[in-house]
Amino acid sequence: MTTHELAYTQRAGFAIYYGRDAEEEIVLLQEAISRHAHIEKQFPSRWLAIKLLEGDRDIEMHLKVFQGGADVLAAAEKSIIHLEKIYGEDIDVVIADHRYGWINGLVREVVKRSSHDRLTNSDKIDRVVTNRLLGIPIFLIAMWVVFKLTADVSAPYLDWVDGVIGGPITNWVVGILGVLGLGGTWVESLFVDGIIAGVGGVLVFVPVMMFLYLALAVLEDSGYMARAAFVMDRLMHALGLHGKSFLPMLVGFGCTVPALYATRTLENEKDRILTGLLVPFMSCGARLPVYVLFAAIFFPENAGAVVFGLYLLGILTAIILGILLKNTIFKGKEQSIFVMELPPYRLPTLRGIWFHMWERTSAFVRKAWTIIMATSVILWVLMAIPVKGSGSFAEIDVNDSVFATANEAIAPVLAPLGFDSWEASSALVTGFVAKEVVISTMAQVYAVEEPEEETEAATFFEDVSEIITSFIGATFDTIKSLPLIAGINLFEEEEEAEPTSLMQTVQNSFEASSGGHGTLASLAFMVFILIYTPCMVAIAAERQELGAKWMWVSIIGQLGLAWLMAFVVFQGGILLGLG
Amino acid sequence: MLNQVLQEIRSTQSALNLGDLSHKLGVERSALDGMIQFWVRKGRLIDDDAAETQAGVVCSIGSCGASCMGAFNCAFIAKMTRTYSISPDDIE
Repeated sequence: MTTHELAYTQRAGFAIYYGRDAEEEIVLLQEAISRHAHIEKQFPSRWLAIKLLEGDRDIEMHLKVFQGGADVLAAAEKSIIHLEKIYGEDIDVVIADHRYGWINGLVREVVKRSSHDRLTNSDKIDRVVTNRLLGIPIFLIAMWVVFKLTADVSAPYLDWVDGVIGGPITNWVVGILGVLGLGGTWVESLFVDGIIAGVGGVLVFVPVMMFLYLALAVLEDSGYMARAAFVMDRLMHALGLHGKSFLPMLVGFGCTVPALYATRTLENEKDRILTGLLVPFMSCGARLPVYVLFAAIFFPENAGAVVFGLYLLGILTAIILGILLKNTIFKGKEQSIFVMELPPYRLPTLRGIWFHMWERTSAFVRKAWTIIMATSVILWVLMAIPVKGSGSFAEIDVNDSVFATANEAIAPVLAPLGFDSWEASSALVTGFVAKEVVISTMAQVYAVEEPEEETEAATFFEDVSEIITSFIGATFDTIKSLPLIAGINLFEEEEEAEPTSLMQTVQNSFEASSGGHGTLASLAFMVFILIYTPCMVAIAAERQELGAKWMWVSIIGQLGLAWLMAFVVFQGGILLGLG
Repeated sequence: MLNQVLQEIRSTQSALNLGDLSHKLGVERSALDGMIQFWVRKGRLIDDDAAETQAGVVCSIGSCGASCMGAFNCAFIAKMTRTYSISPDDIE
């Protein structure tokens, strides 16, 4: 017998009892129904009486077409009014409440479970993973593994993509342009120094993003991500912030824009604005390539730990700022009442992981082909227009360009932070467009002339063969890199990757602009990237979600805080004798 | 039973998960899901995911690199867990 039958049919000793008052009204309604034989023939009377008391719109519509249906509906209306006076509650709630109570009682009566059965495997894991004391450390360990995997293990593939773009692809483009009679012209410069340097500079980081998305997909598909949100949520609440704030913040690790829209789930306006102001401090995926590049240059031994530290700094900044604002400007009653669904743990499938990884990586690549390519071309044009010196269009020293001159005007503001070169300031300026552009700008402005090697030009098939063999080599190196997560280095000292020309040039520039404190300056630069305005799309989202006033507060506040924190890192580091 | 669920959610001091609530009330998880859905239909609980989608959250901006309907569907972000909030009209 189904629960449905039990709920709606009257069988002696085996039917749901809805309470004395409700049962009396059900009987009265059944009597009213029985006065119309054609209705009673169509519907079981108890079932119909209960449906009418529940206010089932479909049944009411059906009943209206029957002769005498209006009388039954009027009787039902009278019963509902009478019962609602008695219970002080909607009558459908009273009926559903009795039904759930009856089901629960029945289950208790007939289903016997040992204490072992009562806890599922998910429950047992949750006892540890969402434990009040262990939850946060486990979350931090998970994050640490993600960033070790992202920054260290992806390195061989990163070098492989860099080699392919800087070698065969550049050679093929130059070759094709040569055949077209455009070799050595500004068109070749546009392709090589503009598009390939800019877009290629970002595409080099595709393996990094793939590893990040791989790790996120595993956490997501296994069910851990929901636990992370739950654990952090509890922490936020304990700190006096709106508990639900952490959900949009966790979204912000991927992209700030949807995270800002996710603040709509907060009912209270003050909480919504506060969370919207804090979301940008969660380091979005687009900032990761910048960290990976600088960590590889200045902290080659601890790149993963540095990236992890930056993400943690973003969370801490948001929490501290949140507490400050919550106790001042956004002081108000805490209203954080909600319930969260924690899905059972599952073993992630290869298909699922691949789908998530591919979907996100392809979105990243699409972005490279659209906004980053457009920005690269604009930058190339600005760097090709001379404002001083004797050069002509596209045949100038980049330091004489309109782009360099404009950014030189901004650079002094960054002098106390250790990176007052026009190249560094230009990367921060274009970073307003999108954070991926920081990397493409650097690849363009640090115009690196690769040393000419005395080698014979490779044929197309030799290039393809080299791409394949270097890919196999990168795969082996990646496998060898996996123990790095546990701090075990299987690489011989001489096997460590040589820094690229771009890395060397960036290092020299930061060393020069910081008076020999390049490491501190690079750390200050990464902190600035972490804290300042995410991108123009995020600004548009802030305007839409928070209003123009709070958008400006956010932009100016983030810029001010970024400068201040970078200043503390650089000047504080020097004072303490670090770096 | 139904009111007990609502009361328990209302009286919690921080986020509550459905598994804990199910154990606390001694109710089968599947039955609890049904009760939650009942309150969502009655408007006393809000399904935040559905509310966001209904609000027409769109972030299909070219430079975002993703075409999504709200945070829960953005390609760049991890799938978030479903949450239910007490309706603002129902907070004591």
